[in-house]
Order: sequence, then C-alpha cells, then structure tokens
Amino acid sequence: MGIEKVESSDAELVRRIRAGDIGAYGGLVSRYRDRLGRYAIHMIGDREDAEEALQDSFVRAYRSLARCDDPARFGAWLYGILVNRCRTTGARAARRRRMFVRDADALHGAAHADQSERLEWTDAVDRALARLAPQYREAFLLKHVEDLEYEEIAEVTGAGVSALKMRVKRAREQLQRYLREAEHV
Amino acid sequence: MFEQEDDIVERMIQQLRRPVAVDPALDARVLQAITAPRPSQRRVWPWLAAAAMLGAVMIWRPWSRGSGADRPDTLQFVLVAPQANSVSLVGDFNDWDPKRSPMRTANGIWAAVVQLAPGRYRYAFLVNGVEWRADPGAPAARDDEFGTPSSVVTVGGRGS
Repeated sequence: MGIEKVESSDAELVRRIRAGDIGAYGGLVSRYRDRLGRYAIHMIGDREDAEEALQDSFVRAYRSLARCDDPARFGAWLYGILVNRCRTTGARAARRRRMFVRDADALHGAAHADQSERLEWTDAVDRALARLAPQYREAFLLKHVEDLEYEEIAEVTGAGVSALKMRVKRAREQLQRYLREAEHV
Repeated sequence: MFEQEDDIVERMIQQLRRPVAVDPALDARVLQAITAPRPSQRRVWPWLAAAAMLGAVMIWRPWSRGSGADRPDTLQFVLVAPQANSVSLVGDFNDWDPKRSPMRTANGIWAAVVQLAPGRYRYAFLVNGVEWRADPGAPAARDDEFGTPSSVVTVGGRGS
C-alpha cells in the first residue's frame, strides 16, 4: 500500500494554506493525525511524549511548508519530519520506566483470565519492541506496521534500501527471540 | 502454545497495526501553535495562546492590514467545532445576522474572513443556529445587553 498519493486533496489543501487559509491546515492534521500518531506511540513508547512529538512535527511542517516540493506527497514529507523528531526525543528510557508501571497496574486490575492474557501479550509486544535498537525499531515499524515500501522508507529515513532490508530482517529475528522468551517466562 | 517460526512476529504486527486514537484536541493545539505570535513577530493579542485549546481562535492577518489609519483590517475568525452542522459569525459588524457571515468548514474547523474598519466590536459564534458561543480566546463582552455570551475585538487600536 505505501504512502498513498492523494493528489488532489493534499495538494489542494496545501495550496489553500499557502494562500493564507490557515484553517485548511486542520484538514491535513486530522487526515494524518492517527496514522502518524500510531507510529510515534510505537516508536517512542510513551503516549504523552509521542503526542508531543506529533504536535511538534505538525507545527514544524506548517512552518516549513514552502519547502514541501511536492504537495501531493505531503504525507511522505510529513513522515520524514516525524521520523526525525522521534529520533531526537530520546525517550527510550522513559518508555521502559512508564510502560512497566502502567502494565503492572493493568495486570493487577484484570478481572478475567482472558483479559489478563491479552494484557500479558500486549505487554510482551511492547517490551520486545522497546528492546530493539532504535534504527531497527524504526525500520520495522515503517515497513511492517505503517506498510511503506522500502523506497519510501529510504526517502523518509535517509538510509539506503539494502541497509533498511538488513535492519528489518534483524529486527524480525530479534523480535522472534524476545517474544519466545516472554512466552516461556 | 508454540507457533511457527514467523507466526509470532506476524501476530505482533497485527497487534501493532490496530488503529490508535490520538487525542482529538491535538488539532486545536496545533492550530494554537501555528497561529500564536512567534518571538520574531509583532506581539498580537497574547491571549491567542490559550484560544485554540479552548476550541476557538480568531486570527488577525496583519499582512492584509490597510495602510491608512481608517482603512479596514482583514480578520479570519476560526472555531474548532467538529460536531457542528453549521456555524455563523455574528456581531455588531453584521447586525448579528447569521445569514451574513456563514462560516465554511474543513474537517471541523470553521472559518470566516471579514474586513472590519477600526473600532471596537462585539461578536459571537452561532452554532447549529441555536447555540451562542463566545470566543474563549478573546476578552468577554461585559456590556452585553442580550444575556448571551459574546466577545470583543478591537481593530486598529481604537475604540477601546
């Protein structure tokens, strides 16, 4: 699927914003908010930090809109800004600290066995993702969760396609190992 | 439970692909940030900083300001109201007639652009034809004689 090229609508909204219609930017924010938010939450691991990074990315994008060469591909351009912003958040330590507190509370309050099992699985997924090196997590999420093509990931991350394929492969291998370990705890 | 080599990762991917709902108020916070005066710009109404958080903001577009003291300014009024079916801008400048300044929407953000001569005006938003809302980002009108909430805007530094 990749980053969808929504030629008329994205380009039209960008044109209106450049003409001074600030309200039109709300259309782009609501269009990309949840999808990019998902990436930021998984990448950073803490919802509050992720929403801050997302908000900051939208603001940066607005202020740099003149540098968006292809308004029809605003989404891909915005992804690049968010990826960079997530890299600089440096919230990996916070991710572990906050996530484990939250999940411990959640597990304690689980009323049923299946609910508890779902929470344990969610916890295992979060922990496994958190253990990945940031560049592996970034490549894995963009490829398998956000469904971008390798060429698109190369565009937004600045890494080469072959390096990205290697990162994704190693991410998958490591995740298998981490999840198996969690199963046998 | 023992899954095939890659099945456990595929299951993880499906989990991670579930939609995530970001705080809808993020839209308003972004709007607030991009409309707030930046340090290098002229300070225009510091109370704008809190406006979008509360759902509404009026934007002064100083680049369209007339050069003469009595020339009108162009102002864009914006209301974040995702659930509204219609919003009108009403005020002293249009005789409080909802038909004269209907607002257009893009994804729940309603906007109207009006030109106002220098002076002091009271205004409000009329949502769905029945609900009056003041602009929480602007000073409240203390002298409103109709009992409905309204706000005040001063154009051109006169008429306070």
